[in-house]
Amino acid sequence: MVSLSPFNYLNMIYSRYLISFIISIGMLSCSKLTEQPDALLISEQFYRNGEEATAAVTANYSKLYESGQSLYNSLLQIGIEMATDDYEAGPRARNAHVRAISGLTHDASNDRMEELWRQSYDAIYAANNGVEKIEAIEATAISEELRQRLIAELKFLRALHYFNLVRFFGDVPLLLNTNSSLEAQALRVSKSPEAEVYTQIIADLTAAQSLPSQEAFGLANAGRATSGAARALLAKVYLTQRNYTAAAAKALEVINSREYRLFDHFSEVFEVAHKNTVEHIFSAQFQGNAGYQGNSLAGRSAPTDIPGINGDYADALHLEGGLYESFEAADTRRDVTFVSALVSPVNGQLYQLSRPQFHKYYDESVIGNPYQSSKNLPIIRYAEVLLIYAEALNEQLSGPSAAAYEALNQVRSRAGISSLNPGHNQLVFRELVLEERRKELVFEYQRWFDLVRQGPEYYMEKLHAAGKTLAAPRHIHFPTPQRELNINPNLQQHPDWINN
Amino acid sequence: MKNIGLIAILRWLVLIVCIFFWHKAQAQIQPKPIINASIQGQIIDANTKVGIPGVTVRLEAVTHSVRTDDQGHFSFITGQTLPAILHISSLGYESLQTTFNQGDFEILLKPELSNLEEVVVVGYGSQRRADIIGAVASVPKLVLNQSLSSFDQALKGAVAGVQVTQTSGQPGGGVSIRVRGGASIQGGNEPLYVIDGFPLYSEAQGTGVNAGASINPLAAFDMGEVEQIEILKDAAATAIYGSRGANGVILVTTKKGRAGPTQINYSNRFGQQQIARKIPLLNASEFALLRNEALFDSNPALGPFQYLSQEAIGDLGEGTNWQNEAFRKAGIQQQQLSLGGSSERIQYYLSGNYFLQDGILRNTDFDRLGMRANISVQATERLKIETNLAIQRTKSTIAPGGIINALLLMPPTATIYEQDGSYTLRNPFENIFSNPIASLLETINKTASTNIFGTSYAQYRLLKGLHAKVLFGLDAKSQNDSYYTPSSIYEGASNNGNAALGSRSYYSWLNENTLTYDVNWRNHHVDVLLGFTQQEARNEYFNAGAQNFVTDELTVHSLQSGSTLIRPNSDAYDWVLHSYLSRINYNYDNRYYLSASVRRDGSSRFGPNNKFGIFPSIALSWRASNESFFQQYLPGINDLKFRTSYGRTGNLEIGQYQSLATLNTLNYLIGGNILTGFTPQRLGNPTLGWETTTQYDLGFDIAFAKNKVQFSFDTYYKRTTDLLLNVEIPWTSGFSSALQNFGTVSNRGYEFQLRINPLSGSLQWTSDLNFSVNRNRVLALGNESESYIIGNYIVQVGQPLGTFYGAKTDGVLQLGEEQSQGVFTGNAEPAAGDRRYVDSNNDGLFNVASDRTIIGNAQPDFTIGFSNSLRYRNFELSFLLYASVGNEVINENNQNLEMFSGQQNASAAALDRWTPQNPSNEIPRAKLDPAPVFSDRYVEDASFLRLRSVELQYRFPVSVNRLLHIKQLSVQLSAQNLWTWTNYSGFDPEVTSGSNVQPGRDAGIYPIAKSFHAGVAITF
Repeated sequence: MVSLSPFNYLNMIYSRYLISFIISIGMLSCSKLTEQPDALLISEQFYRNGEEATAAVTANYSKLYESGQSLYNSLLQIGIEMATDDYEAGPRARNAHVRAISGLTHDASNDRMEELWRQSYDAIYAANNGVEKIEAIEATAISEELRQRLIAELKFLRALHYFNLVRFFGDVPLLLNTNSSLEAQALRVSKSPEAEVYTQIIADLTAAQSLPSQEAFGLANAGRATSGAARALLAKVYLTQRNYTAAAAKALEVINSREYRLFDHFSEVFEVAHKNTVEHIFSAQFQGNAGYQGNSLAGRSAPTDIPGINGDYADALHLEGGLYESFEAADTRRDVTFVSALVSPVNGQLYQLSRPQFHKYYDESVIGNPYQSSKNLPIIRYAEVLLIYAEALNEQLSGPSAAAYEALNQVRSRAGISSLNPGHNQLVFRELVLEERRKELVFEYQRWFDLVRQGPEYYMEKLHAAGKTLAAPRHIHFPTPQRELNINPNLQQHPDWINN
Repeated sequence: MKNIGLIAILRWLVLIVCIFFWHKAQAQIQPKPIINASIQGQIIDANTKVGIPGVTVRLEAVTHSVRTDDQGHFSFITGQTLPAILHISSLGYESLQTTFNQGDFEILLKPELSNLEEVVVVGYGSQRRADIIGAVASVPKLVLNQSLSSFDQALKGAVAGVQVTQTSGQPGGGVSIRVRGGASIQGGNEPLYVIDGFPLYSEAQGTGVNAGASINPLAAFDMGEVEQIEILKDAAATAIYGSRGANGVILVTTKKGRAGPTQINYSNRFGQQQIARKIPLLNASEFALLRNEALFDSNPALGPFQYLSQEAIGDLGEGTNWQNEAFRKAGIQQQQLSLGGSSERIQYYLSGNYFLQDGILRNTDFDRLGMRANISVQATERLKIETNLAIQRTKSTIAPGGIINALLLMPPTATIYEQDGSYTLRNPFENIFSNPIASLLETINKTASTNIFGTSYAQYRLLKGLHAKVLFGLDAKSQNDSYYTPSSIYEGASNNGNAALGSRSYYSWLNENTLTYDVNWRNHHVDVLLGFTQQEARNEYFNAGAQNFVTDELTVHSLQSGSTLIRPNSDAYDWVLHSYLSRINYNYDNRYYLSASVRRDGSSRFGPNNKFGIFPSIALSWRASNESFFQQYLPGINDLKFRTSYGRTGNLEIGQYQSLATLNTLNYLIGGNILTGFTPQRLGNPTLGWETTTQYDLGFDIAFAKNKVQFSFDTYYKRTTDLLLNVEIPWTSGFSSALQNFGTVSNRGYEFQLRINPLSGSLQWTSDLNFSVNRNRVLALGNESESYIIGNYIVQVGQPLGTFYGAKTDGVLQLGEEQSQGVFTGNAEPAAGDRRYVDSNNDGLFNVASDRTIIGNAQPDFTIGFSNSLRYRNFELSFLLYASVGNEVINENNQNLEMFSGQQNASAAALDRWTPQNPSNEIPRAKLDPAPVFSDRYVEDASFLRLRSVELQYRFPVSVNRLLHIKQLSVQLSAQNLWTWTNYSGFDPEVTSGSNVQPGRDAGIYPIAKSFHAGVAITF
């Protein structure tokens, strides 16, 4: 037995109280089990007023190219344009999936197909979510005008993504509401026929025509969808649907609104100073070197071998297609679109390239860092509206009218080439318009769409002529991603892609 | 028949031993009465012949007892009549009873062979080993004697059922541990560590700044501070840790002061590490030939010498050997100074340690400076207060990510420097990666952290046997990361220098309040535990960066000098865990044991509808050897115990806020300004709950031949349900996956642990052998799906986790076969020399997507650890052999090296590649543009047998110690990974990515070194 000094004894009494005190403190829990993240918003904390609704719509625009190889920041180039007569996987495009598309050996497990599908539906979910949440905001927290405008912007974006999807894959699931249930039945959606999807696209774009005009929005809102953008895109939808009367009428509406005109010089179209003005109707917005995102097509197409350029040369011109040679000598578009020699910023030497490379988005202000290009990617611009008008009139009237020539010639003369004289038949004129589109809209994610809407024979003819002999009728669509088929038994593969 | 023979032999052995001791005892008794005698002597370890401090020497008949001093001496004056009987006892030694007659005498004490009396730390308490019912393995002391950056690395091969694989050879790098197999697919699979009572999940967390392997948080603790490690494996042992017990629990106890006066220990070890093997690659001229061939194949019109002429190739020679340039012999040193002892009331252990390990890759290292104070005070007879506190500072230079890849693939024709002395920026050919030497030497990629880690408790005896204990613990960490790529190297060239800084602060506090009650009544022994605990953690970090510097001089230290600022980033999270725990251990007459526990955990991490979980366990044991009839029939058996347990444990390692429908930030340019937007990040899941593991265990322990043979066997079945699974959902939902409780995985297996003591004479030999088999199987996955594919892996019902999914090779396409067999190359334009693959789905052609099949698995068939210690006089030799058999590895490094594209270097296998002259059916041709196909070619058997550690120690004799005025002096020589037998062709077969679903993946991982050490330890 250890003897206790009086001090120890006191200690003992104290500590007895001390311990009971500490225990009782300890039993009180000082923390809560409910999670309240400091650094994250949760859905319930948001979509409460006009400002937050606007921020939600901002994020929807961001879905045009969320991150990495994203829809309007190279995925459409890699995912679809490689499968045309004008483009191929460049030497630096090492990825087997990309090379497969370029060589038309892609299949349902191709990861770029998966990304096209995934990113489009991701954007559609965000748009549907935005519409639902903004509709639910109390009237006191948001003006009705802003509410309707934001919903119309979302509908424009939703229509754009569905328009892409239906062209990529044919029949696709048509979802207009969000689903928050994780039940299998709610997740396993079925495809809707193309026609139904188009009906919805037209409905959404029709609603989006109520948006303010570009002028009404003002430059502070540059980048948003406008009434003009809705009309122009609607014209393109009608054209794709071969509803030529409606297409011509809608294109004419845009033309007659006098909101837009062509730049005087083709080079101005891609000048940073002229972003979102004059000819530009709707574009994906880029800003390099601002902690933001540059247009990566600039880097992907820039040469690798010239010191100090630091390009990647992954998106290359498919020489056999003859695009470069098809430009007339006087055509000012060629040298804006392509580069065949570049000066090294390091040693000042001029380097000749072994073949022309795309140059549309190359930003001279960020030499050596081409991925930081601030050039926008046009989704629809006035020149295309003119070409839609010309094409639609030619089809509607079974031959080119004066107005059709006039529209086409506006584009040609701006490019510095001679106007077409009347006298062509419908077939020839159709081909002339398509050729004009091909040269005007190089590297703007248009060629594959233009080829496939002419049907499989046309697509195959062009690709076979360009030496891509594996082109087959099924290639006017992409296969529904195998991953989706695997986890959703209600989906079927596109009929052309079954057994392929 | 066999058994009877064995028993007979054992009986005979026992008899011999008894006779021997009886003789010895007889010889000592020579009575001669003396009164008021002084008794003095020295207690000496029978094997080492070194005095044993702290031995209790008690005179029979009176309560008078003394303890030996640090030399093992004792003395007392007694009024007893001689001869007196002395009882001598010390933990870890066989107790002895001897008769003292006269004079100064020496007593030899034999180390105890049985460990049944040793105290084993268990969850919220400790028990005698003999009383333990659960599967609790103690890590052999000798494995803790290695020179490693963290103690978890020492667990390799140490105990059965615990698979330890290093995830990186980066100094301070992590290990991945699976106790009885991995159960979780997407949750954490690492065990819970409980260090001096403080539970922590070891998970490296960064600030988003560094590139490359992460530093193991456990590397903050010096191995020299660790006294013992116990691994809790079955539910009987782990259920008391409830929602964190499913992956096993590793209990770590740091050193405490030993009984007796102050002892000062100093130890110093230094060593050298080197890479165990390098990968044979092409030299410059061989590479040039390959590139010429690939270019010619791609464009025959330009002729066969498009890269270099035959003459130029002749002048190339070996070229740059990037492996030789990058790897080095690297030093390692570990120093520790400690002071410990105890007086009547105070037990203290103070230590300071320093550890420095240079990496075998240039410009990589890890160093640590730490100190510890473990003090325990018996303040009053009833009140005990203890504090275990450690402060550490760790720093590390991390190998930049992608280095291993780059140094393997960099063409030997490239040089480190250009003609003008500047760095060659990158691979000159079409596959872009930077000059690995420039990246290694010039990148700043550092992390440093300061930690405070400690627990303090007060324990008060309320009544006899009833104790209340209040414990507080703190784990606080402040971390600073920095990263800079100068403009002189490729990574920094395009942005004129890129700097980033990150800062993180983390703390977790713990409060545990427990009541324990021990009572013995006749033959009933009961102890009860009740408690409430709460733990909370908070983590905050931010990072910032800049680019476009005028000069590289300022590196990371002046972000404002960069003309482009990088958007800063910050994040914060917390989690809370509230638990109620209870346990009862009951034993009747040390024969029948029962233990039951229940823990109720409430975690912030789960959905509002599923916050709480209950985790019960029950275990039964029968110690047959204590039955009175037992010794009659089986006298040779010293101990025999049967055990069985059942229980449920959980896993909550899913990170924070996973049940909430959170939003993330997305910006867009409107009107030329960057506007901030928010968008849904995931679907909420209010029912998100625990992953539950139900485990059954059946085992027995047996000891015979006077405890010279001890054997344990356990068999278990673990079924983990409600897996926290990021179930893939259709993309049409707007999301890729949703975290849900879905799916089931099982692990079943058995474990043997055999401890034998074949020699115990002047040559003493103890040997520990463990053997474990685990079979893992996915039983169900979410949403009725049968499988999902992640990269080169498939998670499939009926298959184990870590199943490889790829193509099967089928030789090489030969000339003339292009038309008939070309469809099996998967190439649009097949040519002779292309690799052929098996058309698994028999559709007449090969297609990567549809012809993939299961081609291997990373799970081992069995693992063996075999540790040995041999002592002869003052020498001690110990070694640990470790084997893993049947595990396969995806050698992704080799897949890259067998592209033969001429755009990057290739493995030496390229020398045997297909050419028209050499129609190989194994190695394909050179091709500029090959499609990378993952195939069984890159799946390798990575079974290995490894001499994990070997150490020779010499203890100087007492005479030398006296001469030097020290208490003890020993020197040792040791080596790690000295010898490895394997057929694996990569750097090292012991490799994993650490991921649950992608284990056994060798992709650019920093290789593990072999090392040699010399050391000295002095006790003052």
